[in-house]
Amino acid sequence: MQNFKNKLYNYEAPPPEEIWSNIVSELKDDKVIKMPGLRKRSKFLFYGLTAAASLIIIFVSTFFFNKNTGTKSVADAPALKTDNLINQKIKDSIALNHQILESIINTPQDKKMLASNFEKQEGAPKKYITIAGPEGQPVKISPKAATLILSADNEYPPKPVWNKKIDKWKQIMLSNITSPTSTNLVDILQLAANSENVE
Amino acid sequence: MQEFLYKKFSPKMYGVCLRYAGNTEDANDILQEGFIKIFKNIGKFRSEGSFEGWIRRIFVNTSIEHFRKKVKLYNVTEVQENTIEDKELDALDLLDAKDIISIVNELSPGYKAVFNMHIIEGYSHKEIAGILGITEGTSKSQLARAKGVLKKMVEIRLNKKNNNTTIS
Repeated sequence: MQNFKNKLYNYEAPPPEEIWSNIVSELKDDKVIKMPGLRKRSKFLFYGLTAAASLIIIFVSTFFFNKNTGTKSVADAPALKTDNLINQKIKDSIALNHQILESIINTPQDKKMLASNFEKQEGAPKKYITIAGPEGQPVKISPKAATLILSADNEYPPKPVWNKKIDKWKQIMLSNITSPTSTNLVDILQLAANSENVE
Repeated sequence: MQEFLYKKFSPKMYGVCLRYAGNTEDANDILQEGFIKIFKNIGKFRSEGSFEGWIRRIFVNTSIEHFRKKVKLYNVTEVQENTIEDKELDALDLLDAKDIISIVNELSPGYKAVFNMHIIEGYSHKEIAGILGITEGTSKSQLARAKGVLKKMVEIRLNKKNNNTTIS
């Protein structure tokens, strides 16, 4: 390399002092506004993808259950007594379902129990929340579902596909008489998320 | 850590900024922007090359971005061959770095960018064409013209120096 090239390549000059303070202040501003949000969102997205699988399994099994019950009653037309019994059974289960959901939402002790599911215990931590299923039976749902549903309300990062799916699930839950209503489910998930934040 | 890096590399990188920018205000802006990029992307550095080389590349790219925002280069139909040999620029060796910088800074922005990228940073004309959005022919002709102008300016500068020495 010619001498002048070396001189230019290695040329050094002291920069003005204020530049460093400008850099520091710009980096600080940037951290406050952007960094935590991005981390939180990416965490939401990560958990969201995993949680989607849990929700799909729950709803698919609910559909199969309903379909089988419906097919039986239509196919076996003469057996009105059986129909009545099934209808009565569904009514009873809905009443029981509502009763359990109400008790979960309204009773402070149950709220405490629900929150305690999130407490890390020695050995096997309970990483799920319990809601009443179509027959009033306890159904365990991963709390990751909460992050998915809650993150759907955030506009950023954009997730049109997941938001569409979540809306669809909510509609299914609203129109399905034997599954927990979306309001209740979301309330429970919200409660679970809040209890996690309090901890 | 950030302050240590800044103290270690800022004088050298400010030299790069001054070479590409037409004035100190622009050089200050480029230095600030470049270091912010480095601190934000330091995790992306993979120890494949030297750290200083990585930093320098960021500063060269930032300088070029800055240059592109301000100056629009137009492709020329005429392709002037690179008639001036690098040897003819040897006269630059007689000057000190500050004088060379001041002469280079007198070049038009387009000439200066291509001269810095090709002669000092070692980019090929193909690479320069891709980065600046011009043809290889334009890059070559800009360099040839830059060398011609530089040669004349160095001669004038050296003549002045000689005259001053003779008079005194």
